[in-house]
Amino acid sequence: MSSLSKTKSIEKSRQIEQQFSVLRTALAILFSLIIAFILIATVSDNPVRDFVTLLIGPLKNTSRLTTIVSKCIPLLFTGTAICLVNAAGQVNIAAEGAFFGGAVAATMVAIVPGIPLGVHIPLCILAGAAAGAIVMGLPGILHVRYNVVTIVAALMINYVALYLGLYIILNPLRDPGAGFEASFLFAETTRLPVLFGNERIHIGLVLGVLAVVAGDFLLYRTGFGLTARTVGNNKKCAVYSGMPVGKTIIGISLFAGCLAGIGGTVETLGNYQRFVYGGFTNHGWDGVMLAVLCHNKPQYMPVAALFLAYIRTSADALNFSSSIPPEIISVIQAVIILLIAAERFLAGWEHKVIVRNSRKELEVQGGVK
Amino acid sequence: MLQYIFSFEFLGAVLRMSTPLVLVGMAAVIGAKANILCIAYEGMMLFAALGGVIGSAYTHNLVVGTLCGMAGGIFIAALFAYFVLYLDARPLLAGLALNTLGSGGTVYMVFLLTGMKQNTSNLVSLKFPTVNIPGIQSIPFLGNVLSGHNLLAYVAFFSVLAVWFLINKTRLGIRIQAVGKNPEAAAAVGINVRRTKFIAMILSGILASLGGMYMSMGYLPYFTTDMTAGRGFIAIAAQNLGLGNPILTMMFAMIFGAAMAIGNMAQSYRLPSQFASMVPYLLTLAGLILMGIRTSAVQRKYPHL
Repeated sequence: MSSLSKTKSIEKSRQIEQQFSVLRTALAILFSLIIAFILIATVSDNPVRDFVTLLIGPLKNTSRLTTIVSKCIPLLFTGTAICLVNAAGQVNIAAEGAFFGGAVAATMVAIVPGIPLGVHIPLCILAGAAAGAIVMGLPGILHVRYNVVTIVAALMINYVALYLGLYIILNPLRDPGAGFEASFLFAETTRLPVLFGNERIHIGLVLGVLAVVAGDFLLYRTGFGLTARTVGNNKKCAVYSGMPVGKTIIGISLFAGCLAGIGGTVETLGNYQRFVYGGFTNHGWDGVMLAVLCHNKPQYMPVAALFLAYIRTSADALNFSSSIPPEIISVIQAVIILLIAAERFLAGWEHKVIVRNSRKELEVQGGVK
Repeated sequence: MLQYIFSFEFLGAVLRMSTPLVLVGMAAVIGAKANILCIAYEGMMLFAALGGVIGSAYTHNLVVGTLCGMAGGIFIAALFAYFVLYLDARPLLAGLALNTLGSGGTVYMVFLLTGMKQNTSNLVSLKFPTVNIPGIQSIPFLGNVLSGHNLLAYVAFFSVLAVWFLINKTRLGIRIQAVGKNPEAAAAVGINVRRTKFIAMILSGILASLGGMYMSMGYLPYFTTDMTAGRGFIAIAAQNLGLGNPILTMMFAMIFGAAMAIGNMAQSYRLPSQFASMVPYLLTLAGLILMGIRTSAVQRKYPHL
């Protein structure tokens, strides 16, 4: 067989693999919707109405459409962050702590009065990015330097960031006049510019899209990204070909942390007048789910983030129009992650299709000979 | 405050906080011995916590309730094991999915069965009894230390011995270690690797269930949403620091329990509780770094190892 036709055959197999990955994702979503319908049917007085709300509720009015976009913004950041570290083989879920830490650091800057208008927001973003980089970079550094299992270090650092952040917010920065546990008011100069005249769709959306583009460019258009992906796919190969494995892991963790930290910054400044989180916001874990949906390719992140934001808005709509607890949505999420993560789900069928295709091509070539 | 730390009340508080950590820590030890990176303990605990409450509320029988709770935990453990071992799912993702399922699924079950959204306080469920050891309880000092704790506290410490015995002294335990350390070698001598890992996960699920049931049938008398509050992750930390050794893991679980108890106390004295809450995690990080420094020092000395 000539090398050209061999490449062609491999190309075709790869295409089939891709088609199956799309099919697997579609089936996972379909199954999860079926399960959602069953769950709703068991607790609802009007299952059809509630299921329709779940499916198209978010499209009913512009306010909900705005909610989808607004919920999408932070997900773009944490999703891309997790894509980056995942691609380098790092199970670094410190994006959760980086998001929270970014929000805290941004708050520390945002409550300072008297900083000029055009400077204040960039300063907040810088602080958020720095805090995020520290939180998410640490597991990477500990892994490279001390051979610590990244996920364990990341879990621990998440909680350290959480409690340190809560300490800062609830002690030195706490506003006793707020009436609830929250920081002082952000300065007027930190109000994020809005798009389309809607205050919930702020400049964070632009930054989020930029984060996705930057992440995709870094990972798939630069030498650094190629190194990172090689480290993720085959660490030994990267080591033996003389790639700077340690530096790459640390570098990509720091960059991912910056993104997550900026995510926390724009989410806090864009939606609230003061720091109000009392615990984890779950955006980091959402990022893990999104990275799974995207197969670590940031270019698909906007679609995936919109999807997750859509079902979250559905949950809100359901909560509004019926007594069904919105947490039912997390069952849908669980089913989707499980089925997409299950690499052998449909694998038998996929294998058969690839084999059949390769046979056919071999036969064609045999005929030519 | 210091007076309180040296009192029996504080000891009781430490035991209350440590019991679930020790139980789930033992679950994590078995998982680690089989070399499975399982983070689904939160999900197992939540399902077990709710299962125990529902089972005991409807049958008014503690044994049936316990079995229902275990069934809940085993359900999550079996799902995890099936997806990881038979469908090649990445353990982290399966764990994430099942923790999410644990959180959302229990809310759904609570709503389905009680019509409430936050907790099951309108269900009359049973609690594990407090054990007063006759004879010992009347001895002045020893009585306060050894007697008068929740049944599951005793079970927790017994489970440490049981897990130690299981891993080191039984055929199953040796096999679990073998498939964890070198699955190819284990397969070569005829051990069914997948089945052994599956059994390890189920045992792990049973222990995690006990930890979960302590939360809803001991620590509190009812189930509330997300009541495990990260304890499944702390138990993983304890296991990591304890290097998979049951006794060491128990010690770290108790240190973490003490830190949580101090955190609670600080809150009641209106002191910032966040630093005490941070202690378990900082300790874990420090421990992991120390272990890393030690292994790299060994590697420098004996580079061929």
